[in-house]
Amino acid sequence: MGAELYLARRYLMGLRRRTHVATVTAISFVSLALGVLALVVTLALLEGFQSTIRGELISRTAHALILPRSGRRIPHHDRLVSVLQAKLADVEIVQVVRATCLVGPASDAIPTRVEGRSDIRGAEVDSVLAARLGIGPGDRVEVISPRRRLTPLGPVPVHTWLKITAVRPPVPGREGGALDLPLKQAQKLLWGRPVVGAIELRDPADPWGLATRIDRALGPLGSSLNVEGLRELHRPLLLALSLERAMIFLAVGLMLVVAALNLLCNVAMVAAEKRTDMAVLSGIGVGPSALRRLFLFLGLGIGAAGAVTGAIAGTVLALILNRTHALPLPRGVFIVSSVPFKVDPAMVAGVVGFALLLSLLAAWFPSRSVSLRDPAEGLRYE
Amino acid sequence: MSENGLMVRLSGIAKGYGSGGSRVEVLRHLDLEVVRGELLAVVGPSGVGKSTLLHLIGLLDRPDDGTIELEGRDVTGADAERRAALRNRFMGFVFQYHYLLDELDARENVALPLRIAGRSSRAARERADLLLDEVGLAERGDHFPNQLSGGEQQRVAIARALAMSPPLLLADEPTGNLDRDNSERLFSLVRQLHLMEGLTSIIVTHNEEIAGRCDRVFYLVPVGK
Repeated sequence: MGAELYLARRYLMGLRRRTHVATVTAISFVSLALGVLALVVTLALLEGFQSTIRGELISRTAHALILPRSGRRIPHHDRLVSVLQAKLADVEIVQVVRATCLVGPASDAIPTRVEGRSDIRGAEVDSVLAARLGIGPGDRVEVISPRRRLTPLGPVPVHTWLKITAVRPPVPGREGGALDLPLKQAQKLLWGRPVVGAIELRDPADPWGLATRIDRALGPLGSSLNVEGLRELHRPLLLALSLERAMIFLAVGLMLVVAALNLLCNVAMVAAEKRTDMAVLSGIGVGPSALRRLFLFLGLGIGAAGAVTGAIAGTVLALILNRTHALPLPRGVFIVSSVPFKVDPAMVAGVVGFALLLSLLAAWFPSRSVSLRDPAEGLRYE
Repeated sequence: MSENGLMVRLSGIAKGYGSGGSRVEVLRHLDLEVVRGELLAVVGPSGVGKSTLLHLIGLLDRPDDGTIELEGRDVTGADAERRAALRNRFMGFVFQYHYLLDELDARENVALPLRIAGRSSRAARERADLLLDEVGLAERGDHFPNQLSGGEQQRVAIARALAMSPPLLLADEPTGNLDRDNSERLFSLVRQLHLMEGLTSIIVTHNEEIAGRCDRVFYLVPVGK
């Protein structure tokens, strides 16, 4: 292995003296470096946006949700909450009850998702509903429940007037237009008794593993319940993010494929130019497999130089763009003020690995052809 | 070594190029034996197959028919890797044109067979320096092929051929590109090294004078004559 590596290194160094091969090699090197740079910067951009979205999900939504397997109520929810509090000490637990009500400041009420939550103290609307109804903090709205109560005049809907205490941003991953109430108030309005329809849990220390821990904590108690983690709760969004990343990788990765084809031509050109050298090397004892390795190292050497240069340049560029906020975004449209870039070392390693794999494939064909050559022919035709 | 002292034995060798109507037969029913320590000259007109014969002995080419034995072992059917290993350890090549690698200096060119055999860089350099000294180029080790004269390039090629101390030296018109004085000096060097290193040498040459100074001359005649 040592002699092939040594020769490949000397050939690479010697390429500088051969103008036409050096030019083609420089083009291969620059193409690969640019391809890797583009891929690193693009994936850093995607990762920047996606990690912002994932961060929003983690900071503003439940990390796990417990729902009844059938019906709309969780049986023995008090006991369930006690068990969860005992076994998952640092986890935030919020009891929730939900229904669709008619909500409006006067007669123009609209169907609205109303949620009673144990973690809030006053009536809150999200900005979507606030805009739809034209209301703000301090305004009063009427909430008409789907529950009926029997009166001498027949069944009439239960309703109440609430004073809005806050307007909050919509929760990511959930349709906008919601009214949140304190749990007890909502239970009274929607059910007339202490019913809990769902339990939301949050554990900022381990948001993605919370569902599994809940399953373990509940044991047989969870047989009548469904536990959904972040992955299940936001499956379409997370799938879309993964798909977006894969498609962008493929699209920008095509640049690398083109660069690899260029490298293939480059290595083939060196192989043609070194036809006699290869015959002489055969003459002094370099076997076919060693000749093949020599050209693989040659291609890999050019590919590695290009990939590493591109990865370093791409990483530095992404870090500078992120730190200097060089690409601002309009406020109010996006949740961030400038285009975020996040360099994931594993992603950079993956891109470099992909470039090296392509370089290896590109060098494989000319190296195979060199190894199959008849050494006597190389000497005969000189 | 074989019991009868034979270094090379070719039996019933046939070799041709091309196929069908355009096929040219170069060697037919060729038998040749070379004993250990012999300095053999192969002579004949251009195109008669002298280089082909040398390539067959040097396992760079395969015969269409016949067998090749080196030190009594049949190597005709050896695979490409085995042939390469034999070329590295068993024989040294000197070609008409020096065929030094342009990217390596004289010392590195001489050391190359040793590097291929897996010797350490230091051991290879020491052996290369010794050989360069033997061929009178001790001071030229750092020079690249394009900084050497034709005679010097060929002397470096000889040093490279002897790097692994092979028992067999194959030279294909080693003086073909040199003037009379350089040819004389180079052949004297080959002859001197042949004796010093205890080599068996086969030299293809057009030069009758050089051939006359070898132990034996093998004449090749065109097929069919």
